[in-house]
Amino acid sequence: MTDTAVAPRNINISQAVAEGLRLAMEDDDRVLVIGEDVATQGGVFGSTRGLLKAFGPQRVLDTPISEMAFTGMAVGLAMEGYRPVIEIMFVDFIGVCLEQVYNAIAKIPYMSGGRVDMPVVIKTAGGSIGAAAQHSQTLWGLFGHLPGLRVVAPSNPYDSKGMIAAAVASNDPVVFIEHKGLLLERAQDFEFGANVPREAYDVPLDKAAVVRPGSDLTLVTLSGSVRHALTAADAAILSGVDVEVIDLRSIVPIDWDTIGASIAKTRSLLVVDEDYLGYGLSGELITGAIERFGLGSLDYVGRHGNPGVPVPAALSLERQIVPGTESILNAIVRAGAAR
Amino acid sequence: MSDTLTDAQLWRDRYRLMVLMRRFEEACLTGVASKEIHGELHTAIGQEAIAAALAEHIRDGDSLASTHRNHLHAIAKRIPLHPLMAEIFEKETGLCGGFGGHMHLFDRERRFSTTGIVGASLPVALGHAYAAKISGRDSVAFAVIGDGSVNTGGFHETMNMASVLGLALVVIIENNEWAISVPFSAASSTPTLAERASAYSAPGERVDGLDVDATSAAIGRAVAHARSTGPAIVEAMCYRFRGHYEGDLDLYRSQTEKTDRTTTKDPVVLLRAQLRDSGMLDEATLGELEAEASAEIDAVLAAVRAESQPDRSLAHDHVFASGLTVDFGTKGAVA
Ligand SMILES: Cc1ncc(C[n+]2csc(CCOP(=O)(O)OP(=O)(O)O)c2C)c(N)n1
Ligand SMILES: [Mg+2]
Repeated sequence: MTDTAVAPRNINISQAVAEGLRLAMEDDDRVLVIGEDVATQGGVFGSTRGLLKAFGPQRVLDTPISEMAFTGMAVGLAMEGYRPVIEIMFVDFIGVCLEQVYNAIAKIPYMSGGRVDMPVVIKTAGGSIGAAAQHSQTLWGLFGHLPGLRVVAPSNPYDSKGMIAAAVASNDPVVFIEHKGLLLERAQDFEFGANVPREAYDVPLDKAAVVRPGSDLTLVTLSGSVRHALTAADAAILSGVDVEVIDLRSIVPIDWDTIGASIAKTRSLLVVDEDYLGYGLSGELITGAIERFGLGSLDYVGRHGNPGVPVPAALSLERQIVPGTESILNAIVRAGAAR
Repeated sequence: MSDTLTDAQLWRDRYRLMVLMRRFEEACLTGVASKEIHGELHTAIGQEAIAAALAEHIRDGDSLASTHRNHLHAIAKRIPLHPLMAEIFEKETGLCGGFGGHMHLFDRERRFSTTGIVGASLPVALGHAYAAKISGRDSVAFAVIGDGSVNTGGFHETMNMASVLGLALVVIIENNEWAISVPFSAASSTPTLAERASAYSAPGERVDGLDVDATSAAIGRAVAHARSTGPAIVEAMCYRFRGHYEGDLDLYRSQTEKTDRTTTKDPVVLLRAQLRDSGMLDEATLGELEAEASAEIDAVLAAVRAESQPDRSLAHDHVFASGLTVDFGTKGAVA
């Protein structure tokens, strides 16, 4: 995935995303970036920094706080042949503009009988960083539930740059969910995907990655939880469980080939999901694995994630609800014992 | 009537178009009765003068975002009648192959779209308006909405942003006095909707939407303002002749009022009388125009009736433009 011979550049994920966007905008002048604080400030997390200077205020538009209006704008712009990237600052804010996302952007390709595509990127940040119930959700399960949206959530600098580029190039609408806990992390602090080439490249939107090979348990996770899962997997060796960690990268579609190959080896599936467990990604992965590979293909299934609770404010409470290294290790040990 | 009455050709066209619109809606009503159209259907009978006035101003390069009550707007945007009616009749030959239906019409080349979500067309129009601006085209983005739409947050966000950005957006409000069962008088904080424009530093004008000439003039002024300055609003007063949708028992309205309004204030009937009484068009000409319009619609209806619904095997297509399919191990018929 990366060239380990080269020392990682001293950039963070936000900068990697901004670089991916800049190259995409250089390559295609139909690409626009629209949202709150995206131009002058370069995004509250810095992931659109430098774009205003490079492309000017028409292509990089600071909007009033009007998510409904600028999300719908993307629909009109897409019909006019533009490729808008709209930024919803925190994914939690999607409630005020979900209408345009799920009834227009996601459905117009279908409702038009394939005559109108919607090459729109909904770029947003999710995940817990101590901001409590209204600023901590991931919500990929919500988007994944709605037909017509590709949904991706990268976990490292290399993927972040390559996947934002692929999202912009996609003719399908893509919900691109960054993790707030990762955006400002330096590339060199990542065990994987730390090297970000300067030139343009794409990372496919539909491929999971095995980020740690193992033989006993397939742990499927994504986004901010990948790091924690890797740490937990290292610690689990002491408990005698050799964990294969898969970074899902894409929620829609799910890369069943990668998961299937791993399950064939381990016969055990543990899903670690920062999102709400109910009606979501974890249920989809487990059910989907059984549908595809058969009831007999698994000796163990389990899931660990947010147990359907709003993310609390106090760190003591947050730790109880949001998966972390320790809680993931516990889940691995439980899985190991149950096999 | 205004001076433009001297232009007989203009009035012929206007009258013919309004009759055509009425016949189109009547043809759709037959599709409900015959159950060829399943689901609700909203017609704009009684609102023809507004769409006919719009047709005089909207150019091919302009965009139009419309609502659930959209058939006449599609005609104003010169969407060909056959695919338009075929889509409403859920046929494979429809504008969207039968995937959209009457509330979800899309014609990318003609920059036309509709939505079944009240208020949701406005932000889409904003996108068209912004596209015109940044691509340096002088086209105008039109949005036609109902009086009910004006109370959505999207109206406010769109008007504010269009004004801030100085976009060429013309919002035409068809104030038919009702939003399903709630009367305009019970839903608006302002006596008119036009006056809300001042909150956005935009001009707003209320006009008699039964009068094609007055409505056309008002839209003309709005377009001129939009091109030079920014968004403008035209509130065209009219009356919803039928229930909110076909099948609506419509018991919330006074039947006396309804009978009175639909018989004494029918824009097509009023225009006919004006044209005849003023001597602009004689009885024979009016009859000819009506026959022409009827024949045109009859032919479209007959063709549409003979066509098929899309094959059910197509139901999984087009979820993603790329051809991506997300299968759940249950692809095929309903499991
Ligand atoms: C957001 C939303 N809320 C409610 C509805 C249900 N609904 C459909 S049309 C309508 C009334 C709309 O009134 P108006 O805008 O005046 O248009 P009219 O039907 O009179 O043409 C309502 C409430 C909807 N489609 N979308
Ligand atoms: Mg109304």
